[in-house]
Amino acid sequence: MNQSQAEDLAELQDLAGQYVLGTLSLQRRQQVEQRMLTEVALRDLVDAWEQRLHPLTALAEPQHASSGLWPRIERSLPAPPRVRRAGGWQAWWNNLNFWRWTTAAGLACSALLVAVMLQGGQARRAPGYMVVLVAPRDTVPAWVVQTSSRGQLSLMPLTSASVPEQKALQFWTKGQDWAGPVSLGLVKPGRAQSIGLDKLPPLQPNQLFEITLEPSNGSQTGKPSGPILYIGRAVKVTS
Amino acid sequence: MPDDTLSFDYEAALGACAAGDRRALERLYQNDSRYLLGVALRIVRHRAVAEDVLHDAFVSIWNRAASFDPQRGAAKGWIYSVVRHCALNNVRASQRELLGGDELDDIADEQGGDDHAGSHAMELNASLGKLDDCLAHLSEVKRASIVYAYVDGCTHGEIAARLKAPLGSVKAWIKRGLAALRECMT
Repeated sequence: MNQSQAEDLAELQDLAGQYVLGTLSLQRRQQVEQRMLTEVALRDLVDAWEQRLHPLTALAEPQHASSGLWPRIERSLPAPPRVRRAGGWQAWWNNLNFWRWTTAAGLACSALLVAVMLQGGQARRAPGYMVVLVAPRDTVPAWVVQTSSRGQLSLMPLTSASVPEQKALQFWTKGQDWAGPVSLGLVKPGRAQSIGLDKLPPLQPNQLFEITLEPSNGSQTGKPSGPILYIGRAVKVTS
Repeated sequence: MPDDTLSFDYEAALGACAAGDRRALERLYQNDSRYLLGVALRIVRHRAVAEDVLHDAFVSIWNRAASFDPQRGAAKGWIYSVVRHCALNNVRASQRELLGGDELDDIADEQGGDDHAGSHAMELNASLGKLDDCLAHLSEVKRASIVYAYVDGCTHGEIAARLKAPLGSVKAWIKRGLAALRECMT
């Protein structure tokens, strides 16, 4: 290992340690969570720090939860699976290490932000579900997805965006118990558009939506193959 | 950690959750919710917010149970890390709403709070095992900085305020403290 590689490793070690320790800002936490999706070395360092520091959790005094908390959790669990897709989806999903370890925690908790944003403004009037799609390294909403029970979904851009030549944006969704994401087709950057959902099972709370960067005629593999540009989860909105 | 968590089979519980057994998640909740709520409360510091974090973390554990990989660490550690990172993201997000991200550290640096003055002689205990030995080899300020960050979810600035120390010193203590811990634990 030469000197600059050793310095890089030391920096990566420090980043992983500070991520687990909790001393990074939200923005830097999200950057780490995003990088862990693809950087095995960083993920391994984070795993090691999780294990090293875990005993410190014993220093927090136990606290009794209010009696309503478990029933509330139980009500939020998704209904039994209705859709199971055979084949390699599960393997792909795992190979990408998409939802493993702390990454799962970070992305899942971005649903909190989405829920907070939805408490204000026009969201409340719309029935059905709302999703705010946010770039993984950002907290600024980039797209709002509104769904209705009639199986239509509208996608509205909140920012202008451009796509590199020979590339396209592809829209995906994945329910809690689905074996893999399903394409909702290509979407045009910066344009409002409507998409039919009639071939999909009913939407669920917490259902994942994402937009990835793909070749100009869409992913060649039928599953997301490019980087995730925007991601969010469905929140049920009562009118 | 109390005896009742020693005999609990976390990996089996995650396996059963992945297979759709809600009772397995409930057993995990009954066994660990008080410890997990304790972990979350120290970080977010408000009981209602801590319960929200625990709610979201349990839903997340249920949804992600199938992706747990025992090759990458123990099931119990995975579960606790889901709760901790949920709490950390929550507390950092709410801090960010109030102020602009890293400005927090600078402001906290000037506050010089005293609510924890004198309490940084950490009372560690034998259950921490090897980590305890290695923490014991750190200087008191490095040890306190690391424990305040991990257990209380403190930012660099908040630690500086608690220790009445310059922000730059705290950043250096944490960086060197982590490097020393890693060295000691390998």
